Amino acid sequence: MRLYVIVGGIALAIVAGLIAVSLLTGGEDDSTSATATGELAGSAETATLLRGIPQDGIALGSPDAPVTLVEYADLQCPFCAEWARGAFPAIVDEYVRPGEVRIEFRGLSFLGPDSQTALQTVLAAGEQDRLWNVLHLLWANQGDENAGWVTDDLLRGIGDSVAGLDTERMLAQRGSAAVEGEMVSSQQSADLNGIASTPSFLAGPTGGTLERLELTSLEPEEMRAALDALLDR
Amino acid sequence: MSQRALRAAVAVLALAGAAVAGYLTWVRYSGATIACTTGGCETVQSSSYSELVGVPVALLGLLGYLAIAASALRETELFRIAGAAVALAAAGFGAYLLVVQIAVIGAVCDWCLTSDAIAAALAVVTVLRLRAWAVSRTA
Repeated sequence: MRLYVIVGGIALAIVAGLIAVSLLTGGEDDSTSATATGELAGSAETATLLRGIPQDGIALGSPDAPVTLVEYADLQCPFCAEWARGAFPAIVDEYVRPGEVRIEFRGLSFLGPDSQTALQTVLAAGEQDRLWNVLHLLWANQGDENAGWVTDDLLRGIGDSVAGLDTERMLAQRGSAAVEGEMVSSQQSADLNGIASTPSFLAGPTGGTLERLELTSLEPEEMRAALDALLDR
Repeated sequence: MSQRALRAAVAVLALAGAAVAGYLTWVRYSGATIACTTGGCETVQSSSYSELVGVPVALLGLLGYLAIAASALRETELFRIAGAAVALAAAGFGAYLLVVQIAVIGAVCDWCLTSDAIAAALAVVTVLRLRAWAVSRTA
């Protein structure tokens, strides 16, 4: 009997210790908003939304997808964030995950210093094929324009919440030639296509000519109609 | 069950648990896509409850299962007590995490359920092993 008391006591002490630490560090788990314990807004949804979808640099989705959608956005643009929170998950679930559409991100940074820092970070994450995770988390945590919200603390929190991403490497590569080149390339692409506002979109057959999508709403319906027409369904 | 069979059962179950926890640990550090039938694995694995002071719970589970497997290496009192204590703790903490998944996170991870079942079975088998040893001592 004494033996069982000893074993039970040890087990109980271990479980009590583990649960106490878990409650103290886990706290109020709410995947949709930041909590007192530092849970990053959108981290769980972002991981679920993008889980298993191939990423390659600025591209999300299968390289064999018949249709390519290009998104031009500034990380401080509130309408871009609205699009990202509202329509983007539906487009990913309905078109990207099934392999019918791939999306390229063309980041612009015309709104100010926070735009540039955020964009450099997103593109640096693209060097590790995690651009879309960091991008979606920045939309979920977007602050007031040029209020200095793109802090290293926020970026570290975002980086640490993305599985497989080396946060320090991402931060170190923000000023790399590859990132700079991608920023210049996106700006040139925007100029070439007459992009004057964000979010703006081009779409067309992958490898073919992409056309400007004239959307009047940030809801997914118009985008669905445009993609369905391109997919001939 | 004979003492030998109980010892073998502990080893097999603990290694199975280590395989499950090892897979979750590998997914955690590699960023690989987790194979999942419940659809909730990623949500559970990215929640704040998947870590204890920065250490992934999956890694703690892996270490726990390896410790239980190691307890099957020798037939001494200390090894049996240690194996039973760790297995009971694993089952208890697993039960707590199951409640967290259902009541707090709102998503369930099938790998975690598998680990919970293995931990519960280990708790039973290690206690039976301890009991068999205690009975043989008093016989």
